[in-house]
Amino acid sequence: MSSDEIEENEEEGNILVWLTGLVFLAAMIAIFIYVPTEKTEGVVQRIMYFHIPCAWLSFFAFFVVFICSILFLWKKDREWDIYSHASAEIGVIFCSLVLITGPIWAKPIWGAWWVWDARLTSTLILWLIYVSYLMLRAQSDAGSMRARYAAVLGIVGFLDIPLIHFSVLWWRAFHPQPKVITSEGIGKGMDPTMLATLGISLCAFTLLYFLLMGVRVRQEKLKDEIDRLKREKIYSS
Amino acid sequence: MNLFLSQISAIVWKDFVTELKTRELLSAMFIFALLVILIFIFSVNLSVVKANEVGPGILWVAFLFSGTIGLNRSFMLEKENGCLMGLILVPADRTAIYFGKLISNFVFLSIMELFILPLFMIFFNIDLLAHLLPLLLVIFLGTLGFCALGTLLSSLASNLKTREIMLPILLYPLLVPIVIGVVRMTGQVLAGEPLSEMMNWIGLTASFDIIYIGVSIMTIDHILEE
Repeated sequence: MSSDEIEENEEEGNILVWLTGLVFLAAMIAIFIYVPTEKTEGVVQRIMYFHIPCAWLSFFAFFVVFICSILFLWKKDREWDIYSHASAEIGVIFCSLVLITGPIWAKPIWGAWWVWDARLTSTLILWLIYVSYLMLRAQSDAGSMRARYAAVLGIVGFLDIPLIHFSVLWWRAFHPQPKVITSEGIGKGMDPTMLATLGISLCAFTLLYFLLMGVRVRQEKLKDEIDRLKREKIYSS
Repeated sequence: MNLFLSQISAIVWKDFVTELKTRELLSAMFIFALLVILIFIFSVNLSVVKANEVGPGILWVAFLFSGTIGLNRSFMLEKENGCLMGLILVPADRTAIYFGKLISNFVFLSIMELFILPLFMIFFNIDLLAHLLPLLLVIFLGTLGFCALGTLLSSLASNLKTREIMLPILLYPLLVPIVIGVVRMTGQVLAGEPLSEMMNWIGLTASFDIIYIGVSIMTIDHILEE
């Protein structure tokens, strides 16, 4: 990567930082001031505006891992490997946040930190799959082997998601029925102000994903660059 | 096609000859599965819980744990003397290596399961003979899925530094659908209910088997590449 390119990237990054910051500010205002408190669940329900976007972000991140893994095996380009690595890390972080915010919400509402409900279980299994993905990356040395193995696991792991979903669904289900997208249409089951707040929050988290991706990918590329320069130095002296 | 089949059978034959000479794997798997069942019997109070309810879970945990030993062996054995390199250098399709390994893993595990089943019947006082056929179908589907994904991941894990540790960590979370499915179905069969009421589970485990055999065919080239 040339220095011009890095500068250009940084400029783009700056715009994204400001944009993400602004949308997050708007989301905070919406969550804590604009949206009314839910009638039955009370103030704790506001955690939903973090819980659902985190879940969305982690699923999106894992989907990106899947796509980038396929592209890597097809094109054998280090670029895709970097993307899937970065995306998996972000996905695991936000999946952890889902697993943390979930019990905080569940304790006052269901009366228990954890129930073996379908969606809780599948999120936990998803988290385990992608933690093992990151462990696999940590276990093998940098290079084409690590990238290929990780890509295979990225594909295998994502294809498991529908199977896990159905198996734990038939196993047992407790979770509130889907409210945003129901059979009656999108957004019918929810108050419009709540829906708007959730929308802003989703936007903010999606922007955050791209921001984090940018930072992580740049970091990884600089790492590669340092490795290359080191090797050049060793062999030239 | 004929060539492909003979390549597969050569690999399976090789594994069998090795096993007949060393007799390491099957006995170890059998004893280990027996130990797992024993430990579970100590950990649940069988006078309180019905054997029919905990039995299927314990049986499958024993199968999966001892199956993992078999999977760990299957590619490690090749790794030890550089045999894997030899296998890769053979002018055969890489999928032949995968299928050969899949079949030998599957057969070893099935033989072990056939030895465990009578003991299970005695320990838990459950009559298996009355519904043997549906039970064998469930065991077939479950074992095939376990071996399909397990063979792929074992070929991958054999090249890692900490292979014995990494294989279960990679494998178990992915196996969740099949574990839930087979335990449910085994419970149904042992309760004497017809399996036709659980068509959704049969479909799920069968699609698990098909998906992972398909994915393995597509990705094994990228794993067995040096």
